[in-house]
Amino acid sequence: MQQIYDDIRGDFRYDNELNGCLNCGICTATCPAAHFYDYSPREIVQLLWTENVEQIYDAMQEKIWACAQCMTCAARCPFKNSPGGLVAIMREVAIKHEMQSAKDVLRPFGRVMLKLITTGNQLSPDMIQPDHFPDWGPNIQKVEGDLSVLRKAIPVKTLQTVETAWEVSLKTSVEMYTIWEMTGVLKSLELMDENLFDVIEDFIDEKREEYDEWLEEQEDDD
Amino acid sequence: MKPTDQNGSPDAGIAGHGSFFQETNLSREEAVRATDWVRKHVDRRTVDLGERMDDVREHMYELEKEGEIIIHRITDGHEPMTVKTLFGWEKKIPTKQLWHHKSCGQCGNIPGYPTSLLWFMNEFGFVPGKDYLDETDQTSCTAWNYHGSGIGNVESLSAVFLRNFHQAYVSGKQHGHELGHFFPLVHCGTSFGNYKEVRKYLIESAALREKVTKILGKLGRLVDGKLVIPEEIIHYSEWVHVMRNRIASELQKIDVSNIRATAHVACHYYKMVHEDAVYDPEVLGGNRTAIITSVAQALGAQVIDYSTWYDCCGFGFRHIISEREFTRSFTMDRKIRVAREEANADVMLANDTGCVTTMDKNQWIGKAHDQDFSIPIVADVQFAALACGADPFKIVQLQWHASPCEDLVEKMGISWSEAKKNFQEYLKEVEKGNIEYLYNPELAYGGQA
Repeated sequence: MQQIYDDIRGDFRYDNELNGCLNCGICTATCPAAHFYDYSPREIVQLLWTENVEQIYDAMQEKIWACAQCMTCAARCPFKNSPGGLVAIMREVAIKHEMQSAKDVLRPFGRVMLKLITTGNQLSPDMIQPDHFPDWGPNIQKVEGDLSVLRKAIPVKTLQTVETAWEVSLKTSVEMYTIWEMTGVLKSLELMDENLFDVIEDFIDEKREEYDEWLEEQEDDD
Repeated sequence: MKPTDQNGSPDAGIAGHGSFFQETNLSREEAVRATDWVRKHVDRRTVDLGERMDDVREHMYELEKEGEIIIHRITDGHEPMTVKTLFGWEKKIPTKQLWHHKSCGQCGNIPGYPTSLLWFMNEFGFVPGKDYLDETDQTSCTAWNYHGSGIGNVESLSAVFLRNFHQAYVSGKQHGHELGHFFPLVHCGTSFGNYKEVRKYLIESAALREKVTKILGKLGRLVDGKLVIPEEIIHYSEWVHVMRNRIASELQKIDVSNIRATAHVACHYYKMVHEDAVYDPEVLGGNRTAIITSVAQALGAQVIDYSTWYDCCGFGFRHIISEREFTRSFTMDRKIRVAREEANADVMLANDTGCVTTMDKNQWIGKAHDQDFSIPIVADVQFAALACGADPFKIVQLQWHASPCEDLVEKMGISWSEAKKNFQEYLKEVEKGNIEYLYNPELAYGGQA
């Protein structure tokens, strides 16, 4: 528990995001998550400010995942605190310590994570189909038709895609893999969801091979 | 000095009452003079902040002088226009030679955002490949994932930022231009906020710079062994803001004075690194960011205020995917209902990806709770394009919206049914391979315009 708190406090952003607290509550008054959840940015700041290690740990079980990360709290705070920024640090630490709350939260995120890590794009047209979002209603779009044809009717070449938001070059995706590896993102993913990590690893190997082959072809052409 | 009462007690208040209170016996003229400063409109853009607020750009210039980084400068070639930000600082907005940094949410879900923007650039006579570039060599900023899941960290966000912006810096070379020819124009509000945040961290932390320099070195994305950092981070809506008068005077074809517009400015545009957001004394009294409102006013629309103007849309990053009951409840209750009941708005204008998606897609479900409110949701640039005669389907791509955009289009005097019929005919041409483009597609792959 103490280690978790030390990791939060040890983040280099911490002193930038926490400068004191008047307990005025304007952050909570303007917080969208506070409308619907048992969540208060003022409480988060207070727990950290008073070094209440036990309750910080409790807040990381659930509360920190309520925050909508809009940063209204940060814009309003007379002390220039950023409760939303502190929550971001706490989420990272929850992942680092393999907390169950983080695993539960990440499960529905799997599809986005797979898309992001493998392509460098977070979202794609084929993800935003009516069967994925029944609550968006029957008229999710105003012209029926084959998705690939509708995408080709966008007059911008990079956007005529279905499986990614825009066409990302292979070289670009491969560069992203290096970033994920060197910054410990893949390691975090492995801690959180081993199955998803395995799928992603296979995909990355395949893409790297594809890129190497392409490079060889280029050399042969020269 | 601590106030005391007439007996010397240090516990007296300073509220002008109590036993220590004494009449000043000022004449009327003296009293007026003494309180004149209270009556003055105090403009925070004229307040001297002293050391209370740091301008990260000053530290950037120092780092450049010390040979640590290269700043991707805004030059005369970018034809910049200068605006004022929250504290009256100046910010240069380049208007030309722009590298489109696309948004995953816009491209994947609201493609009329980027198409309207590129269409405007063409309408102004910009030459693709010289005055702007849209290419495949870029990734998402990855901040949506970070804010939603916590997977990712400052190093990964910084490395992605530097990778993409390095590409912007060198992208002109393959088209025969100098390094730095194209300046990045960030389409997404969250990318914009995130990039500003990580730029600040990079400037403040030598340890972070050291870590990411290794990564960028491995990627071959250093210039003379140095990191490339942009002089300014620019959001597309800032470009729309500085071009608004040209849009209205040179391109506007439709009178929109009958349109009641409400604005929803993205939280990540003006609440993250808030000192960088654009404010204009002529727009909303300079008390709120000028973005969106300024272009709606320039076009002559009626901009109507509403009590939850400052509220978030409810997107939540994580919530839009896995806790949509929060997202739809918040957006219906705090944005759509209020804009409908208080402002009787014909349209809600936004300047970000998640906001448009959230407010556009979550109206239908409100009926389940007798919240039968609906408002067309479009971006500022889409509304402006419609007002300038852009095709509602081919260019503004309203077919991807769920909210009743047909009501807005009809109120603007454009026939929705006619435009839809024409578009469906065009789809047959698309199937045959007869596609209309805003620029030569080869440009996207490094080919010539």
